[in-house]
Amino acid sequence: MKILGRKSYAVVLVSMFITLILAIMITSNIGSASISTYDVFRIISSKIPYIGRTIDIGDITLGQHTIIWNVRLPRVILGALVGASLAISGASFQGLLKNPMADPFILGISSGAALGASIAIITKVTFSFFGFSFVSITAFIGALLAVFTVYNIGRIKNKVPVTTLLLAGVAVGQFLTAIMSFLMVIYNKDMTKIIYWTLGSLAGKGWTPITTLGVPLTITMIILTFFAKDLNVMLTGEESAKSLGINVERTKIYILILGTFLTSLSVSVSGIIGFVGLIIPHIVRLITGPDHRILLPASAFAGGTFMIIADTIARTAISPMEVPVGIITALFGGPFFIYLLRLKKKSI
Amino acid sequence: MVIINAITVKNILFGYNKKDVLRDITFDVLEGEFLSIIGPNGSGKSTLLKTLNHIFIPKSGQILIKDLPIENYKKKDLAKYMAMVPQDTNVDFEFRVEEVVAMGRHPFQKRFQQETKEDEDIIYQSMELTNTLEIRNRYINEISGGERQRVFIAKALAQKPSIILLDEPTSHLDINHQMDILNLLKRLNEENGITVVLVIHDINLASRYSDRILLLDSGEVIGLGNPEEVISIENIEKSYGMNVAIERNKYTDHIYLTPIEIKHRIKDKKYYNIHIISGGGTGQELINRLYGEGHSLSLGVLNVGDSDWQHGRSLRIEIVEEKPFSSISDKSYKKALDKVKESDIVIMTNVPIGSGNLLNLKLAERSIELGKKIIYYEEDHYENFDFTNGEATTILDSMKAKGIKVIKNIDDIIEELK
Repeated sequence: MKILGRKSYAVVLVSMFITLILAIMITSNIGSASISTYDVFRIISSKIPYIGRTIDIGDITLGQHTIIWNVRLPRVILGALVGASLAISGASFQGLLKNPMADPFILGISSGAALGASIAIITKVTFSFFGFSFVSITAFIGALLAVFTVYNIGRIKNKVPVTTLLLAGVAVGQFLTAIMSFLMVIYNKDMTKIIYWTLGSLAGKGWTPITTLGVPLTITMIILTFFAKDLNVMLTGEESAKSLGINVERTKIYILILGTFLTSLSVSVSGIIGFVGLIIPHIVRLITGPDHRILLPASAFAGGTFMIIADTIARTAISPMEVPVGIITALFGGPFFIYLLRLKKKSI
Repeated sequence: MVIINAITVKNILFGYNKKDVLRDITFDVLEGEFLSIIGPNGSGKSTLLKTLNHIFIPKSGQILIKDLPIENYKKKDLAKYMAMVPQDTNVDFEFRVEEVVAMGRHPFQKRFQQETKEDEDIIYQSMELTNTLEIRNRYINEISGGERQRVFIAKALAQKPSIILLDEPTSHLDINHQMDILNLLKRLNEENGITVVLVIHDINLASRYSDRILLLDSGEVIGLGNPEEVISIENIEKSYGMNVAIERNKYTDHIYLTPIEIKHRIKDKKYYNIHIISGGGTGQELINRLYGEGHSLSLGVLNVGDSDWQHGRSLRIEIVEEKPFSSISDKSYKKALDKVKESDIVIMTNVPIGSGNLLNLKLAERSIELGKKIIYYEEDHYENFDFTNGEATTILDSMKAKGIKVIKNIDDIIEELK
């Protein structure tokens, strides 16, 4: 007799990880230019140090090589990173705020980032820093400023009651969105560009965001899982958690900072891709239960997988035109989630 | 056997913002005892409990846990010694009962450590002790309030604590589940030697289960001691503003309190010292009404065992007594006369008068001479109240001639006193 079914946890995590890797390989293979799976495999393998030298890719054209290596693969990997980041921060925010409606954007990140990006788009400054465009940088700063404001409004002395934090998030978010809408009305020539940005896209980023953000994002996600147990206990009540020796207020701040960092970075490169951070944790919770020790890593894997599938649909559905990926995530995620909810209801 | 203090509280002061919620609280919790904290709403009970658990930190004063200041404990070490069952046990997420109980092992585990065999054994035992084994696989948000309370007690037990603090564990439960929880706590206290400190609203349950009771009012200790000492008419009146009757429950042999009336101490209302001369149950209704109105009463002379005497005792009213079935002695008569002298008003009921209690009638007659206001309460007029061959009737007639008020119902008496 096993308590908590630890073994099944490991099985779930490993199979979700394998699914993610498979999804990366399969989706790199899908696109308007047809390249065989075997060739894709060879191109990727040839980049692996040592092993790569033994693989002959002489028969693959430079064009095919470029499409796979410089276009599709970085896009898929970025999708996996962004999806994982959004889903894991969504899961931890839902736990932290004890609110199933919470998502990574609930504390004003999306509105702050959108306003920041709008300002950059309107001012047309072309400036880049470590390969990041001015839009990315202002979006990141906007997101951080928004959360900082929300946190300080929601804070009462050195405590952060969940309700005031949520209300402050909604209020600040609405306020910033209003400013952005106002800017869009005034500078209506840039409106399309701003709207496209807010719908999110993973197109044409190349390797730069992955080489710079890949490591910090992955490390932040790993650190976030350190707090899984504390989050579990906090779900049974903050007083309970305190009497079990958890420093509740400090843990809240850590999770807020880590989640905000993950979300802001993701948003700065990909725009606002909604729904992933809200529904992936719910879908995973239906499978694994609410234990954050498995919920957090499983959400990351599932978020990554979901995002790259959604993005593949975004770039191939009405090819050669691209649909913003945020539309796809909501279009497919919504009904799927409703289906799962109904399934769950029937089983009770 | 040396009795050790599990918790020592010295002069603590605690307040939210500027308002002081706990003022100069000093008491101790003995190792292995069952202590209930009672008091009216807003008296600071829950706050005190959370201060004991270091969730709230007092502005001044000291709390010692086993002779060491509470600040000296690491949070996790404190959690290994003392467990807390919060008032609100609602959990919105679908944890299984077993997972919730397992969280009690948190203070013993490192960040990524899984449950060891020892943890699993303790989790199992905790569920066994609390009868939650059969619901171990159910979801915490789908079980009943009583079951959830037991699950949270199991979670507390998984901390292997010496002390369990509980914040109103029986509120929101029906009487069956209230007793179920308290029996469980009593068992843990007696058989497993766990010190139990709980906040509870039900005074009768508190006196039934507790070794000692701490009565709080407006953040101050009103009483601390065994139930008989603390649950007194005076203490309850002072803290709850209630007139109550306190007696020994004949089924459980514990102190039993019956609320009679909320005391409305109205500013302009006059309160009198009233002496009542009655007997044989003729005074009961009158006593209840006047007591409820807030007047200070004295009774007598009454024979021990008389139904008015029993009634007066349960309300802890001062009574001038005479031995059972005996005639009133001169000694008791004089005592009663002293009471009459202290009083503003004397009320006599139409108790039948025989040779044994003729002195009571003379007491009433004497009080007219003393210039006291006297009321004769004659609910029903019996022709044969006189068992003294006319002597009583003569006295009563002469009293009536002297102008005592004869009132036929209690409402009129209340009106007369205004």
